[in-house]
Amino acid sequence: MNRPDDAQHLTSPTGPESRLRSVSLSRTRTWGGLDTQDVYTPDDATIVDYGRNLGDPGVYPYTRGSYPEMYRKRMWTLRHIVGYGTPEDTRAGIEEALASGTTGIDVVLDNLSQEAIDPDHPLFLNDVGLEGCSIACVADLERLLQGIDLTQVDIAWHSALLIHAMVAALALRHGLPLRELQGSHMPDHVGLGLAGWGQKLLPADLAHRASVDCLEYVSQNFPRWTCGFPQAYNLRERGLTPAGEIAVGLALVQQTLEDLADRGIAADDVAPRLAWVSTADIDLFEEVAKYRALRRMWSRTMKERFEARDPRSMRLRISCHTSGRSLTHAQPMNNVVRATVETLAAILGGVQAVETCAYDEPVTIPTPQARELAIRTQQVLAHEAGVARTADPLGGSFYVESLTNDIESRSQQMLQEIEAIGFLKAVESGWIDELMDRNEHAFHAEVRSGERVIVGVNVFETADDETPPRFNFDRTGLEQRTRQFEVWKAARERDGLRTSLARIHREARQGANPYEAMVDAFTRDATIGEVWGVFRTALGYPYDPFGVLESPLETGVA
Amino acid sequence: MKCLLGMTGLDVHSKGIRNLARLLREAGHEVVYVGEHNSPRSIVRAALEEDAKVIGVSFSSAGYLEHVRALMQAIHDEHATDIPVMVGGLIPDGDDVDKLRTLGVSAVFGPRSNLEDVTAFLDSLTTTRPESL
Repeated sequence: MNRPDDAQHLTSPTGPESRLRSVSLSRTRTWGGLDTQDVYTPDDATIVDYGRNLGDPGVYPYTRGSYPEMYRKRMWTLRHIVGYGTPEDTRAGIEEALASGTTGIDVVLDNLSQEAIDPDHPLFLNDVGLEGCSIACVADLERLLQGIDLTQVDIAWHSALLIHAMVAALALRHGLPLRELQGSHMPDHVGLGLAGWGQKLLPADLAHRASVDCLEYVSQNFPRWTCGFPQAYNLRERGLTPAGEIAVGLALVQQTLEDLADRGIAADDVAPRLAWVSTADIDLFEEVAKYRALRRMWSRTMKERFEARDPRSMRLRISCHTSGRSLTHAQPMNNVVRATVETLAAILGGVQAVETCAYDEPVTIPTPQARELAIRTQQVLAHEAGVARTADPLGGSFYVESLTNDIESRSQQMLQEIEAIGFLKAVESGWIDELMDRNEHAFHAEVRSGERVIVGVNVFETADDETPPRFNFDRTGLEQRTRQFEVWKAARERDGLRTSLARIHREARQGANPYEAMVDAFTRDATIGEVWGVFRTALGYPYDPFGVLESPLETGVA
Repeated sequence: MKCLLGMTGLDVHSKGIRNLARLLREAGHEVVYVGEHNSPRSIVRAALEEDAKVIGVSFSSAGYLEHVRALMQAIHDEHATDIPVMVGGLIPDGDDVDKLRTLGVSAVFGPRSNLEDVTAFLDSLTTTRPESL
């Protein structure tokens, strides 16, 4: 309830329809709330020092882009999300997506797998495979990826908890060199906690520890792996503004790099492995300015604060998924237009990968037709619109440069506020929750009053717009899955498994990095619920956040 | 009216119900928000402890029928059947609304519902409940 699309339907004569005639200027502030002027001139633009504040694309501070020739050299990766049902179901979806022209596969896991809960958890038997692929152990990955060479194919895993450790275990089992492994995942556990996982699943100290452990291990062993960190997308969806995205994301990155430095990991060891997971909401120029301000602030933070020397640490790669929250349930075809504008913002902003939302996302996980339209959207922009041929095409615009500066100064101000509190304290105390809730509340107040117009929602409504069809697939495979999982689990070799789970517990409790022990446990057929649960108990939290299951180390089952 | 709002199951999309909590407080209701990832039993027990007059849950994921079924079972098991339940979120118009009502849900608010619908429902509870007791 109370998503952007179920805002108040204003039909009274005092509502915005009385003053809105077809097209009119209904707002002069940005979608994120920054004031704008009717025109910008050289007096506003403050391109004070081109070399210092902008620089050519590929040159510090990378405001104009992370690479010299941008899309002439390498286009953005057209990414698309696949994931439902059993590993076999999702494999079929991967084949379809590759056939329709996707260049990057993103695998989304079901809620259980994302939250490190096994498919045989008695409370959630009906959730298995519901809105993503069910993956709970290396054997599941083997079924999903049979015949796919993980040193050649770049799979982006839309998950944080342990998915990389499982992929690493799969590689070890099949004799693949870890240093050659390609792919990415999103180990921003603190961000997830803020985005709705909450304190029961991801208390801040446990979440932060998991991220630091993961980044340490990846930086030491996986030179070709990318970590989507911070995962700022979810926080924008929950209620951060573009300026807030930069501030909270950078606060997290700073805290994490400081803690890694305490373990002897320098910025240059880890920063080249990071990519910022971002969004593009509907305000075209604001989002473009955000990407520019973000690259500038990132490079300066890396160079000045963390003494990075490697250009790969300073030039930020950005992955964008267009905004799900901007899409409306009402008049869903309007979402095609929204996703197009947002994809355009990402390209004009110089990102390295784009996922365009399917228009039916407010109703269902994407149908094949909607998914194809999202791919075609990117292809029309890439081949016909000509928006990719020149780097940073909006650079030098009096308006965009001013907006870039405005977002940067607003972000810096917020970042200082967070630093004054301390990042983890700001998370634990609910300060960041409150910031997002307040923004969300203000957003809806503006929609209700008509101050903020969403077409088809609070103006230009139609009484009976058609709901797009819901995605459906044959669920018979899922019914067998849980039974097969239970049989497989019972037949495992127990001794090695128990020893490796005990090692995770011991190392985590002693403050050592248990990541390698986790990988080892997965090679011995540990499940995601067991590995994460044991990690939780080592840090003093219940094995099962829902209070049903007990640790196999206690019960002797493993 | 004292409302207990929360999420059960695995759903992380709490933005809507958090905002509803604020809006209901603004409208003069007392709201206890118990967060995400509650079990059916824990949410019912919280409602009993808080002496809440209504329970509200929200779902974005497609598995809401089973989760509401489990919640209604917990309400039965905990002898809390006098606490009405409202369900909101990504619930399409049509069959599922009837199914939820058959399970014993008192009010369903989908993507087309608004705050006034929710407050009207809460107001109806205060006016009708004394008679029904």
